[in-house]
Order: sequence, then structure tokens, then C-alpha cells
Amino acid sequence: MEALSYFLTAWIDPQLLFLVGLGTFAGIYIGAIPGLSVTMAVSILISFTFAWDVNNALCLMVGIFMGGVYGGSRTAILLNIPGAPSAIATALDGFPLARRGEAGEAIGIATVMSVLGGFVGIVALAVAAPFISEFALTFQPRDYMLLAILGILLVGSLSGESLAKGVVAGCLGLLIGTVGLDPLTAEERFTFGFVGMWNGISFIAVMIGLFGVSEALGQLQHVDTAAVKQKISRIVPSFDAVRKYLPLSLQSSSIGVIIGALPGVGGDIAALMAYDFAKRTTRNPEVPFGEGAKEGLVAPESANNAAVGGAFIPMLTLGIPGDAVTAIFLGALFIHGLNPGPMLMIEQPTMFWFMVGNLTLANLFLLVFGLTGIRIFTKIVEIPKGILIPLILLLSVVGAYAVNNAITDVYWMLGFGVLGYFMKLYGYQVGPVILGVILARLIDENWRRAIISEQESLGQFFARLFASPLSVSLFTLVVVLVLSQTPLWTWARRRRVRA
Amino acid sequence: MRQLLIGAAAALTLSAVPVLAEFPEKDIQGIIQWGAGGSTDTVMRAVTPAAEDVLGEDIVMTNRTGGVGAIATKFVQAQKADGYTLLMGAENPQLYKVMGLGDTDYSDFIPISILARGVPILVANADAPFGTFEEFVTYAQAHPGEVKIGSTGPGGLPSVITAMMTSQVDLPVTAVPYDGDGPALTALMGGAIDVMPAVLGAALENIRAGRIKALTVFETQANPVLPDVPPVTDAYPAFADYLPWGPFFGVFVKQGTPDDAVAALQAAYAEAAQQTDFGKLMDDRGYALMNMSGEEAVDFLNRWQSVTSWLVFDAGIAKRSPDDFGIPRP
Repeated sequence: MEALSYFLTAWIDPQLLFLVGLGTFAGIYIGAIPGLSVTMAVSILISFTFAWDVNNALCLMVGIFMGGVYGGSRTAILLNIPGAPSAIATALDGFPLARRGEAGEAIGIATVMSVLGGFVGIVALAVAAPFISEFALTFQPRDYMLLAILGILLVGSLSGESLAKGVVAGCLGLLIGTVGLDPLTAEERFTFGFVGMWNGISFIAVMIGLFGVSEALGQLQHVDTAAVKQKISRIVPSFDAVRKYLPLSLQSSSIGVIIGALPGVGGDIAALMAYDFAKRTTRNPEVPFGEGAKEGLVAPESANNAAVGGAFIPMLTLGIPGDAVTAIFLGALFIHGLNPGPMLMIEQPTMFWFMVGNLTLANLFLLVFGLTGIRIFTKIVEIPKGILIPLILLLSVVGAYAVNNAITDVYWMLGFGVLGYFMKLYGYQVGPVILGVILARLIDENWRRAIISEQESLGQFFARLFASPLSVSLFTLVVVLVLSQTPLWTWARRRRVRA
Repeated sequence: MRQLLIGAAAALTLSAVPVLAEFPEKDIQGIIQWGAGGSTDTVMRAVTPAAEDVLGEDIVMTNRTGGVGAIATKFVQAQKADGYTLLMGAENPQLYKVMGLGDTDYSDFIPISILARGVPILVANADAPFGTFEEFVTYAQAHPGEVKIGSTGPGGLPSVITAMMTSQVDLPVTAVPYDGDGPALTALMGGAIDVMPAVLGAALENIRAGRIKALTVFETQANPVLPDVPPVTDAYPAFADYLPWGPFFGVFVKQGTPDDAVAALQAAYAEAAQQTDFGKLMDDRGYALMNMSGEEAVDFLNRWQSVTSWLVFDAGIAKRSPDDFGIPRP
């Protein structure tokens, strides 16, 4: 009962209620603009809110987090530019839908599924937080490595018509991801002596270039074609549609919660994995994946918002950030004199339920703000190309610069924009490149950590792997996924069907 | 006549005041070396609002991360030496020279304030088969290579503390590198590593919760936050030569900045660091408040550089000898 009163703190205080709403609203737009990230907004807020009461600061920050993760889908659907890394998978089927004039419906589904996913994350946080965080702690370096390999296998789903081209693009991404100071030894790799490259190539700059600029360049060829008229009759998805996608949404959300709760892995990987999961399990989608399948929208949008609740699980129970944004929340709690850690839940149960309450509230606001104003938003697609293309380029430049306040990132972004244009021209998908960049570090660091831990003995590495149930499950999953993509598998299945 | 002269001089001085306007007359930029939410970021964002109040102008803080802090350091170095760009950094640049990461260090800057110093401790997984520093040393020697010690790459706090330990005792352990003390402490709780040198503040809450145990604190006296954890000098008095040692946070401006600007900034940060809120934050996180500036700060920086450079060089993880840069042996 006491928990309920903490939970409702922000619901009954008009000021806090307003701050959560304001945060959510602002978050949607921050998330929608590529390069303006939730991480950035929240860290700026920390110094602003230093003099504030801690509750006020947290309400605003929670709103921005929830809204921002969702907002990334807007530009992904309308312009094929993911506003945030967690919306990369959303662009894959969301943009084709907009091209068919169904942007309104796509945003409607994305909103409802985001809110659904958000609730799954919140419920997991409220009910199973201690259990999930203990589970997340058991992940060893080798398990992270296996997880990253599972991620690499997503290339199959992102390759478009040619797997070979997808693999080439993925390898390029892995290579880009290795640039910079070696995370383990601080040795320079592919930096050519430039200090500006020590930090590696900004992954956001690569993303904005490959998606945003290349899209703008590609559209230059069709400047004269009239924009697709958007159908705006149906925005809020019908009850039947929601019920139809509900199982997929729940499954994707579970993926999101677990991946979100793992320290160091966040909504971007969760969304891509959920997309892959949807693509593998959906039998007979109405429209093929990559051409505007609704399932391809439902899965990543549920997963990335579920990952928000997931990321709070280790943060509130153990004081370990689940991702970059919750790391800043931890900093904020410290500044405001609370000591986040395993004792927080015991000494300050108020804080836990207060956060759960805020997240729930932000999620409700998301539904309201997400479903209103869509009509105006979809008009963006109908803007004449002569105005829209320069606008995209401007947004891309501002976004790339804003990531690290570095002009170098703008050059990288433009370079990758040109590269992306030619890649698309020759049938190479840009998705696998991003996937490679995201996963390069994860796989590199954790493989080396794992083998260093076993004193560089491969035998011992496998001995330990097979002694751990978690590692064995992940390993089996990797093997099954690889085999299922070989001719051997199809042959075995055909035989079984005949027999 | 004489009075007239004095009067004229006074009038001149008075009229000169508006021309030589007082520092600061516009916003100041604060460049933070490390990312949002990290310890450097937290410290700077906590202390700076109070300094703004004293100065009467805004200090706009930006994180320019990367290159172990070198990106921010080089950026500030490239700006005008007018006091309008502050470098908000940690200890890392003091090791750039010996680690082969460039020729910059804090001798190219004027310290405005060395705010605080972290207290290093050695923590172990709660289930580790040793409970004290001596037991850990004995166990590691009996099981060469089996004990996994967390690290954050060469030059980081764990590598320096490990170098300190190996300079005193034979310690055949395997160092497993992580991205920072946060991920390494997580790995420690999950059992992926067995021991980890860390700053007290980062480990404190988990020690209190019994998820990890503190073996020793690298000080000559026990820390008031953890009175039961013995200082390392109890078992090995020779460690006293290196202590006090710890990562620090400071605000700097480029060499050549006008004296009045330096003085104004020093006064502002000195007052800000005295605020009770800031003091409490530092206590809670287990940092020793320093609030040092001027000669005192320069001496501290030099001694820190000399002790640490030679430690990492003797441990074989440095690329260049401190001798190459005229860094004296302590």
C-alpha cells in the first residue's frame, strides 16, 4: 500500500505531472532529430536541475528518456533517417510504408507498440527487477561474445536480395568499428597518427551519413516526381490489428527487457534482434519484409521501448547502468545526494516506486502525444523535394556536429553519405554496415577478455563454456541459426516432410 | 599642489576602471574530458554552478570525450589563453608522455583548482577465498596466473595500483581489461574477475551491501568511511613511499592566461569547493576534498607525475622512460 503511494507521487502532484508530460513531449522531438540524442539532453539537464528538487529533475529526465526512444521512429518512418540508433530497424519497413502513402498508419502502429513495449518493460521492472538483475550479472565475457555473434548473424535479415553483398557491408562496418584507440591496450589502430581519430569514427555520424545524406542524394534523381499523397484516414490502429500483433509485440518486448537489462548493451541491439526474430518467425506476412511489413515495425518498436524499463532494472537494484542514459541518471542521483547501489532499494524504497510510477506516467503521455499531431507530421513527406532535400542535409549536418561538437564528425558523415549513395545504387544495403559498427567493439573486447581470463587457452575456454548452462544455450542458439541458413538444413527438412 | 596631483591620479584610476573591465565579461566554456555521467562529469557539474554564482557569468559545460582525455586537452590548448575556456579534467594527461600518447601534460596549463582526490582500495568478489590483502598475496602466489584482476587499460588507476603492488610483492595474477571501473566492478560482482583496484567511491555502495569485500585501502590510515578496512601500510610499510596517491579532478586554464582572470577563477572555484553540498558529495563518494591552487597545486601535480610515471615505467607498461622528459625519480 505504501508502495502505491510512492508510485502515485508524480500522478497527484500537478507540478511533477506537468514535468513528466513536458519531458515526454520534448523527448519525442529530441529523439526525432538525428544527432540530438536522449543522452545529450539528459546530461545537459543535470546541470540545469542541480538546484532543483531531485524529484522534479527525475520526472523531467524520465519523460525525455521515454519520449526520446520513441521519437527516433518518426524520422525513420517519414524520411528513412533513424532519429536514434534504436530506430534503425524501424526504418527498414517503416519507410517503405510511408512510400506507399501509409505513413500515418505506420506511425500509429509504432506508437501503440512502443507504449505496449514500454508497459512490458515497466511491469518487468516492478515485478522481477531483483531476479532479472541477478541474471544479467551472470553474463560473462564469453556470453557477451556469443550474444555479439548472434547479432552478427542478423546480417542475413538486413541484406536485402543478396546475402554476399550484405556480408561485404557487414565486414566494412566491423572494420570501421575497429578504428581508434584499442579499448583494452590504448594502442592506436588505423588512426594514421591523427588525434582526432583516437576516439574512433563516431557511430552516429556513420548512421546519419549512410541513412540521411545518402537518402537525400538518392532522391535528387527524382526531384520532379510528385510526392506520394499520404492516406490519413486511419491513424489509430484498429483493435483487431493490435490483437493480431500482440503476441509478436510481447515476444519482442521480452527480448527488449533482457537485452536492455544487460549492462553495456542497449535498445539499438534489442530492436535489431527483435526485427530479426520477427522476420524469422512470421509466416506469410501480408507484405514481404523490407517492403513495408507491419511486423517489421511492431517488433523493433516494442523492443526498444521495453528496453527502457530493462535498463532501469540493474540501475535501481544494483547501481549499475543498463545503458548510457541510465548512467547519467546515476550521476544525477549522486549529485542530489542519493547513493544509488544495492542498498538503494532497501534504504529508499520510495525512489524505486517513484521511478516506476514516473515511467508508467511517461508511457501514458507517450500514447497521447504520439497519436496526436500525426496528420501534420505526415505532411513532411509531402513537402516538395526541392525544400525537403536541403532540409534533410541541414538536419544531418547539425545532428552530426552535435554528437561530439566536432567538425570532423560532419566530414565523416558527408563521406559516409556519398558512400551510402553508391552502395544503394549497386544494391548494397546500409543496415549491415551499422550493425558491424555497433557490434565490432562488443565482439572484439569480449572475445579478448574471455580468452585472457582463461590464460589464453582455447581448450580451457571451451571447457568453461560447456560447463555454464547460459553459455551452452547461447552457443546452441548460434549453431542452430548458422545451420538453418545452410543448404544442409533445407535438405534435412525436405526429407522429414517427405517421410 | 600635492593634493591636486593625488586627486588627478585618483581621477585617472577611476576613469581607467571601465576600460579594463573585470573578468569575466562573457560566458565561459568548460570542456569536460570525460563522458556524461562519469565521475569527472559528476564532480564538475556539481561544483560549477556555485562558481558561476561567484563569477556572475554562465559556465557552459561540454563533454569532449575520447583519447583518454586528450581530445579535450588538445582542444583547450588550441583556444586563446584568455581564461574563457576551462579544461575540466582528471589525472590522465600527467601520464601521456610516458604512455606515448603525446607531449602534452598539465605543465602546459595553470591549475585553477585541484578539487578532490580519489582513495584507491582493493576489492574482491564476496566469495573469493581470501579476506585480507596478505591472504590475497599468499593465495595468488600459490595459484600463479589463476587470480583475475580487473584493469582499465595501461595508465588507468588499476594498472598503477597493480604496478605499486608488484613493486613490493611477487604477484602472479592475470589482468583482464575493461572499459572503465563501472563495467569492471560489474564483472567483479558477476565473478568474471576476482579482485579489482578501484576508487573507494565507486565501490562503496557494493561493499556496504556485501556484494564485494574490501581487502585494503591504499592510504597510510584507515578511511573514516570504511574504518574496519586496514591501510596497506599495516602489512607492508614500504607502500608509504608512494602515498598519498589517487586519481584527481581539477580545473585548468592554458598557460599564458592573464593573472587577473586566473585569480578570479581561482577565487570562484575555491569558494565553490567549500560549499557544504559539494563537500558532502565528495564525502559520500569517498573522495578526499583538496581545493588546492597556485604553487601548492603545481607541486602536487609534479609529485603525482613523478611517482606515477616511474611506477608504470618500472612495471614495464610505459612506452617511454620518464628520463626522456626530465621527470625526476621521486
